[in-house]
Formats: sequence, C-alpha cells, structure tokens
Amino acid sequence: MREVVLVSHCCLAPVAPSNTVAGFDPVAAGLPRKSLKTMTRAVQLGVASVLTCVRATPGWAQVPPERRGLFVGGSPQQGDVDDLSAAIEAAGPVPDLRAFAERGEPLIPPLWLVKGLSNNVLGYASALLDLRGDNGNWCDGRLGGAVALCNAVHAVAEGRVDLAVAGGADALVGAEAIFGVPCAEGAAFFVLVPRGLVSGSVRQIRACLPRELAGMDEVGELGAAALPVALARAIAAGRGFEGGGLTVAGVTDS
Amino acid sequence: MDLFCGRCEGLYEVSRAAVVVTGVALRTAGPPDVASARPDPEAASLDVPLVARVDGLLEDVDFPDDRKGSLAAAVVHELLPGLPAGRRGLFLGTGLSSLTPDELRRDLYPSLRGGVFDREWLARDLEQGRPAPWRHQPERVTAVLAARLGAVRSETNFSACAAAAQSIAAGARAVARGDVDVALAGGHDSMLHPLGYLSFVVLGALSPSVGRPFDRRRDGFLIGEGAAVLQLEREDDARARGAPILARFLGAGSSVDAHNVTAPHPEGRGAALAMRRALHDARLEPGDVDYVNAHGTGTTVGDIAEAIAIHDVLGAVPTGSFKGAFGHCIAAAGAVEMAWCILGFGLGRTWGTVGCEEPDPALRCSVLLRPKNEPPRVVLSNSFGFGGQNCALLFGRP
Repeated sequence: MREVVLVSHCCLAPVAPSNTVAGFDPVAAGLPRKSLKTMTRAVQLGVASVLTCVRATPGWAQVPPERRGLFVGGSPQQGDVDDLSAAIEAAGPVPDLRAFAERGEPLIPPLWLVKGLSNNVLGYASALLDLRGDNGNWCDGRLGGAVALCNAVHAVAEGRVDLAVAGGADALVGAEAIFGVPCAEGAAFFVLVPRGLVSGSVRQIRACLPRELAGMDEVGELGAAALPVALARAIAAGRGFEGGGLTVAGVTDS
Repeated sequence: MDLFCGRCEGLYEVSRAAVVVTGVALRTAGPPDVASARPDPEAASLDVPLVARVDGLLEDVDFPDDRKGSLAAAVVHELLPGLPAGRRGLFLGTGLSSLTPDELRRDLYPSLRGGVFDREWLARDLEQGRPAPWRHQPERVTAVLAARLGAVRSETNFSACAAAAQSIAAGARAVARGDVDVALAGGHDSMLHPLGYLSFVVLGALSPSVGRPFDRRRDGFLIGEGAAVLQLEREDDARARGAPILARFLGAGSSVDAHNVTAPHPEGRGAALAMRRALHDARLEPGDVDYVNAHGTGTTVGDIAEAIAIHDVLGAVPTGSFKGAFGHCIAAAGAVEMAWCILGFGLGRTWGTVGCEEPDPALRCSVLLRPKNEPPRVVLSNSFGFGGQNCALLFGRP
C-alpha cells in the first residue's frame, strides 16, 4: 500500500452568522457560463471547489488523465420547479396524468432533467479537467463526504489512481423544515496523491471505516459537505484532524 | 510543493485476498431468456407502451410506501438468515426516489402547482412522523437495512446506471482489504412511476415497441426495475466454513468519459478504459474473457459506442444484453445482470440477447442471440451511466 498525502484543497463555506457562501461567483470560479443553467447551487459550489483545488496543485496536468480520479459526496439534485410549472398549468387544476401527458409534457424543457442529475459535480468537473480515472458519487446524507474521501484514500493507496480529487458539496438552505435544524450550503474538495509523487509540505491522510461526523457546523447543517468543510476548517487553523473515519496529520515536509 | 509525474507511469501493483461469491439474491421481472415486458396503465397515459415490472414485492411491511425499498429489502432479507458472523458491510447502488401515483396526485402535484414544495405538505408529513422528503432520500433504505444487518460499514452509491456495479466493486475491495468479513453488495431501483416515466420520455430514450439491443431496428429501451445483492467473502473464510462458492470476483475497473453529462463518448473512450482497468485489476489478458454482458441498452448511439469499445479491448468476443428481456433496471442494472451471469455458472448457461433478431452489421460486435448450454469461464459485465461514469466487473466460475 502507498502512503497517501493531502496536497491542496478548496473550501467554499459560509462565515457565521451567514449560512450562504458570500460573494460566490461561479463564472469567476471558472465555470462555463453556458452550463450554469443546468447546474444547481450545490453543483456550482462543488464544481468550483474541484476546479480551484486542482488548479492550485502544481504539476497536476502532468498526471495522465486516466490516472486522475474524482470522488464526490452530495445529495440528490432536482430540476427547477419553474421548468415544470408551465406543464402543470397546462394540464389543468385537477391532477390527471393523461392531461399532463398530452398537454403538459411537450412544455417541459429537456434541461429540467439534465439539471436534476445527481452526479453533475462529477460529470461537469471531470469534463472540465479531463479526469478519466477511478470515481464514485455517493448520496449518503451526512455520510456522503466521508465515504467519498475514504474511497479516494483507498484508491490512491491501492494504486488505482495517482491523483484523487475528493470531497463533498451540498446546498440545504430552505430545507430547515425537513431537517428541523438551521441549514447551510458549502463545498470542500481535496487533492490526494501518493507520498512518493510529491515534494514539499504535505499532510498524511489515512482512512478506515467512514462515519458520520458528530456535531453540526456553526453555520448550520451542511449535509454531504459537513465532514469536508470540517476538515478544511481544521487545516486552515493549522490543526490535524480526526473524524468521520479519517485521520489527517499536521504539515510535514515530503 | 510539486508533483514528480515521471513516477506516474504504469499501474501500481497491490496484492489482495481472493474474494468469492457465496450467495446471490435477485428480483427481476423475469428470467433472462424470456421477454417479460407488458403494458402498464399508468405508463400508457404517458405513451410508454411496455414496462418490465417485478411481481409480488410490496408485502414487505417495513417499506410499504417505497417500491425501491421493498426491492432492496426483499433481496437483503433473503440472504440475512444465512450470513456468517463477523463484521458486515452493505454496499448499495440506487437511483432517484420512486413516487407512487398516489403521492404524485396527493402531494407533489399540488405542491408543484403552488410553485414550491409547500410547507403545509411538509408539516403534515412531519406530524405523521414520516417527512416525505426523507422518505425519498436514497440513503434511508441503506441505513435501515444496514441496521438490520448490524453492518459496520455502509455506502449508498449514486453513480447513475453504473451505481450497482461500482457498489459490487467497493464491496469486494472492502472484503479483500479486511474492512469487513462479509459484504452484501449490489443495487436496487425502480423508475416505474409517473415521474420516472416522464424523465425518459423527455429524454426520448424509450422504445415505442420492444427492446432490441444491438439489433438493426433498435430504437430505445424498456424501463425495468429490480434488485440484487451478492454475498462476498474472502475465499479462505468461505472454505473454512464450508460455504458453497458460486463465483470468484476477479477484478473491476471504473472510468469517466470526461466528455458530456448525457451522451457517451462516440468512440467509447471511457467504456474501453473501464474494461482495460478491470482486466489489469484481474491480471487477465483480453483472450481470457469468453463472454461480455454488455450494458447494451438498445439505444442507437449507446450500442455503437459500446460495440466499438468492446471490439477495441476484447476483439470478437461473444456479447449479449439482458435489457430486451427484463428491461433496463437503471441504477440496479449492474447488480441484477451480474447476478444472472453468476447463476448462469451454476445452471450451465450463457445467456443470449432477447429482442435481437438481426444484429446491426454496422456494429463490430459478435452478438450471442440465443442462450448456450455451456457457461463461460470468465464474464465481463459493463454498466455505463449518465454523467459519463463507467464500470466493468470481471467474475469467473468457481
């Protein structure tokens, strides 16, 4: 098994008392303008975080595309209700599938479905960065980010990829009635490589069994981004991290 | 900090414990050698002519309102009594939640008419102790079943139509690594509900007649549903307790097209990479594979891309698809299809391709039309999903 190190990261998370990422500009973050209408807020945050952390990794483009992996924790996405409203109005006031099919369905823009694809962070980010290697997308509630990171550590350790991008993205603002707690949005992704491939300051990362992170971030429930954001906050504070099945050491020179 | 990428070349070799299949549970609309599709009144209203529905599932009282949950519970419960002691894991691939027609009419439709998921709806369900959105969260089924198993590890993979295949790969690796002693790995899905039909109608992916994978007249797929789990253990453990060995896990490979979120790479670039990675993982040569269970949806472009990839990687290997028999089981496809292939080892069968009568001469693909009473030694099974995710699994006869 190879030793795995964390070499860069990008965290897009609110600063308390806000529960949203202030000043987030997806175009400035490198997202194609024409794709924005098929990306939910969570997907925009996730893709922006992936782009930023990969581009902050010197030499990343020299890793062959087949050896670059992407591991994502998220939540199921939904197309815009607005895209369905014309079809529903056309179908009449009483729910009737036949009327909906005959009069409503032709009014539904195909982009409604595309925006609702729940692996869109993976789909868009892989295309933008030519990440063709091992991968996965997990919608596992708060566990999602932990599962993605643990799988990424194993993929690097076992030699399936030489560069893994892993983390989570979620946007739960407005879902307070479901969760019964304050909700927030955020994304954090990390670049992991084998120690033998890198020089400079790195942090060793190890994985065991993924677990839900105990406790909630001060900005609110972050869903699949909870563990990745907590890890990013620990790194920003210069600390090591232990939780969710991950152990991340302090900075060492490789 | 900088990467020294001269060291990236070639795959790193890792030895691992041998993993075997000691149990299989599955539910599909029918067997792989008979067309099981039939009309469905709800689907007909959306101009969907035929669907492949699993009979007799909703008796499971723990998931009375969730068809996908019932499918998953049916297969997990079947294997639960015979599971050996030890650390257990549950690895399930799944897809978007199912909505019953009643839920659509009673809850979602009025909510959508209001332009939002209205708070009264949420409040009512919360008062009843069953918040509707939570009822439809994909991880709920995994969490409930993992608790019943006493699992120390669980995952809910949501990688579109590659989800179940990736879950099987993850389960096998967790067993080999020693994270768990036994894994139930597979997937469950049902899109047999109005919004499910609608999604594929909008996409134009459904056949207006029947599913014909690799046929000259292919025009889309039939929606199916299903669930399957494989019981995976280390070979040494299985032999020590005298368990029947149904198949060997040989390897797996995943890739991303990195091309387009809804269309496959036209030359099957990602599909070919997944197959090559699976071969490398299994330390096999292309000539070692004697049957390919293709993703084979029966769409015009999908079959072309896959046929190119199979030919490039494996040459003229016999290839079949189950999707003309019991439809496309979406996120569960990789599990139910691998499960039928493994049952074929024991039954002495190599399954053919129901629905394909005249293979498209434009496809460089050796389609196996009828079943053979001779099982393959090594099967490669493909699963490809929206978003460009691909997974190939390799299993061999015991």
